[in-house]
Amino acid sequence: MYAKLSNHRFHFPVLIIALAFLLQACAGNTPTPTEPAAQGRLGELRVAIQPIVQTDPAFISSDPEIIIASSIYDYLVDVTPQNTIAPRLAREWTVSEDGKTYVFSLVNNATFHDDTLFTAEDVVWTFNRLRDPEVDSPTRDLYSNIENIEATDRFEVTFTLIDPNPFFLYDLSDNHALILKADTEEPGSDFIGTGPFKLVSYNPEDRLVVEANEDYFLPDRPKLEGVEFIFFNDQVAQSEALRSGQVDLVMLLSADLFNTLVGEQGIIPLEAKTNSFDVVRLRADRAPGDDPRLMQALRLATDRQAIFDLVLQGYGALGKDTPIGPMYSQYFAEDLQPPARNVDAARQLLSEAGYPDGISLELHTPDTGNRPNLAVVLKDQWADAGIDVDVIVEPESVYYGEDGWLEVDLGITGWGSRPYPQFYLDTMLVCDAIWNESHFCDAEFDGLAGVSGTTMNEDERVEAYRQIQELLIERGPILVPYFFSQLGAINEDFIDFQMKPFPGRSDLSTVRLKQ
Amino acid sequence: MTSFPETNSIETGAAPSRWRRLSLVVRKLYSKPVTAIGTTITVIFILIAIFGPLIAPYGENEILASEARQPPSIDHWFGTDNLGRDVFSRVVLGAREILVLAGVGTILAVISGTIFGLLTGYRGGWFDEITMRTFDSLLALPALLLALLLLGTVGQSKYSILIVIIIVYTPIVARVVRSVVLAIKPQGFVEAARLGGESQSRILFREILPSVLPTLSVESALRFSYAIFLVASLGFLGVGVQPPSPNWGLMVKEARVYAGLVPWALFFPALAISLVVIGVNLMADGVKRIIGSQGQG
Repeated sequence: MYAKLSNHRFHFPVLIIALAFLLQACAGNTPTPTEPAAQGRLGELRVAIQPIVQTDPAFISSDPEIIIASSIYDYLVDVTPQNTIAPRLAREWTVSEDGKTYVFSLVNNATFHDDTLFTAEDVVWTFNRLRDPEVDSPTRDLYSNIENIEATDRFEVTFTLIDPNPFFLYDLSDNHALILKADTEEPGSDFIGTGPFKLVSYNPEDRLVVEANEDYFLPDRPKLEGVEFIFFNDQVAQSEALRSGQVDLVMLLSADLFNTLVGEQGIIPLEAKTNSFDVVRLRADRAPGDDPRLMQALRLATDRQAIFDLVLQGYGALGKDTPIGPMYSQYFAEDLQPPARNVDAARQLLSEAGYPDGISLELHTPDTGNRPNLAVVLKDQWADAGIDVDVIVEPESVYYGEDGWLEVDLGITGWGSRPYPQFYLDTMLVCDAIWNESHFCDAEFDGLAGVSGTTMNEDERVEAYRQIQELLIERGPILVPYFFSQLGAINEDFIDFQMKPFPGRSDLSTVRLKQ
Repeated sequence: MTSFPETNSIETGAAPSRWRRLSLVVRKLYSKPVTAIGTTITVIFILIAIFGPLIAPYGENEILASEARQPPSIDHWFGTDNLGRDVFSRVVLGAREILVLAGVGTILAVISGTIFGLLTGYRGGWFDEITMRTFDSLLALPALLLALLLLGTVGQSKYSILIVIIIVYTPIVARVVRSVVLAIKPQGFVEAARLGGESQSRILFREILPSVLPTLSVESALRFSYAIFLVASLGFLGVGVQPPSPNWGLMVKEARVYAGLVPWALFFPALAISLVVIGVNLMADGVKRIIGSQGQG
């Protein structure tokens, strides 16, 4: 007698999986039309995002946290998708000849969600909080050059700097610099902003729902009745939710996942060229990375074009081992090239550095984006030169948790796109940088970064950036194989959405439902 | 209670050699088509695990940059994945890892579970109570959840997976063995051995253990199939193994991201998991049936 079906316990998981696939296949792709609303607003956009942790604008860091905060609050000045500065709560501004005094004229018709009028005092309070040592926001260093912030009129605010800063307007548009109501007691839970949307509900394990701010100071905005930010832990689940019509917008997709959505009916793929990059860095302050020949060997063993083709599949640009990418067209030194792949030369350098039989290293990487794939390809390429790598993939929260990423010898870190390159130099590569993960310290580099970050002469800055790129290619502690595009996709029923290089900064107030 | 050797002795009239016993078991396994299929699948996978490096045309992490995302062909029987790795080679070379981890883990869990089962069943008393209540509390948690909790505690490595398999399956094996021991303990030959002054260990391992072995062999085969599933599941959840390991569960996890474009990279490792689990289960069913028929005979 053969065994009965009920004896085969292994059938149950198989059945469940089969049912899951069947249900997936049966799911339809349906948009979410809603009843017409007041002032011509129509529809609700459902955005799939990773769960958020921080809600206090002074401490937000991830794209999901930033896109939620920037829907509820406003910046003083904003950055356009083309990386130019645009007015927001500041209508216009003037800069003194010495570059130390900035006077901003503010809009006079903006109100907070509790109907309080927005004034210059709110700006003063917000930026004082962002540079307050007791608050200890990540922006504290960024605003350490501010000497004074003063409300010079009810709708006018004046910033006085210690030294000139050609990028000060960009600093004011930093992700954290969302304007809060003066004397807000609980910035992480009050959700009282001047932004285009008002909080309706927030369930940390499920979703955050906002509705249109009917009194928003920009005319005809927002164009939607509301937005639902639905939390998904898994990127694949996000794209499947879009495919099946359960959400309308996904961002931060990997190239592999993005390609599965290209050509899908009813879905519009989105690509934003950016200066986002994954950096492979070796600690330069202790063995084995304190011998610069090891980093040079890693570079010589790397085939950047193969990585670009395999990992990014064409969505981005080739890197040159510096954080200054082609998006900064005025500063990017196109003619400079890192050395081409030369496995024999890499082996020779390793031998000279005291590793004639090769070297074993642990390569740490977070589990997000293209980083695990980059680690796997590097392991294969470096093996040809006798560099044996153990890939350690860690959840992002573990990789960045307790500053572990600043401790490991060899690691891969993702850096988001910023509107100007000085940010990377000041926070990542100068001796006392807050996130100097390679522990690099080079007096010549610091001197050049000092010039590029303070000079008001554009030609001088261009030359400083060129020399910085030359220096990093010659002896820098980092390998930047590529700059990746930000990839996303949206339901075709929604139009006028422009994904920014930093996707969390995308403006949802312009999005509208196609009628 | 009848055991293998006793049954065979009755059939042949003399104690058969080990090879003869083995050939008898094999013949029994191949006497039914379903069991034969299960046994054949299991044997094939064991051979693949042993001779994998001789069979695989490419290395497990050999990247063929110009051949990424190729469908199955003469050059790449199972196609290539998103990074240009030969899926057939990775499936073949992954067999060793999953079968060795599951096999060694199962053997150690069976040894440990048998010792606990024999001791608790024979000695009883407070030792039995404390041990079995502890095991009951472990069994209250689903195996995968318990495995995740343990991996979070002992750290993530292949050795950790071994420890997890032992801890997860020891209570189950111990409970099965204990129930057999409780049935055997009152029988005359055990009492005779005890009155004859034999030591506790001799009674347990010489008198009682042979009677437990048939049940234990079925339980071992079942635990092996579950251990394979557990190792693959942990790989799929991304714990315990690291890229670029050709762990089948990890391969499925990586491939599901681009399954719409490169379905073969997901299909073949998933098929391998299914086949080996089904094969071992069918074989275990066969062993159970053989032992059942011998018990009746």
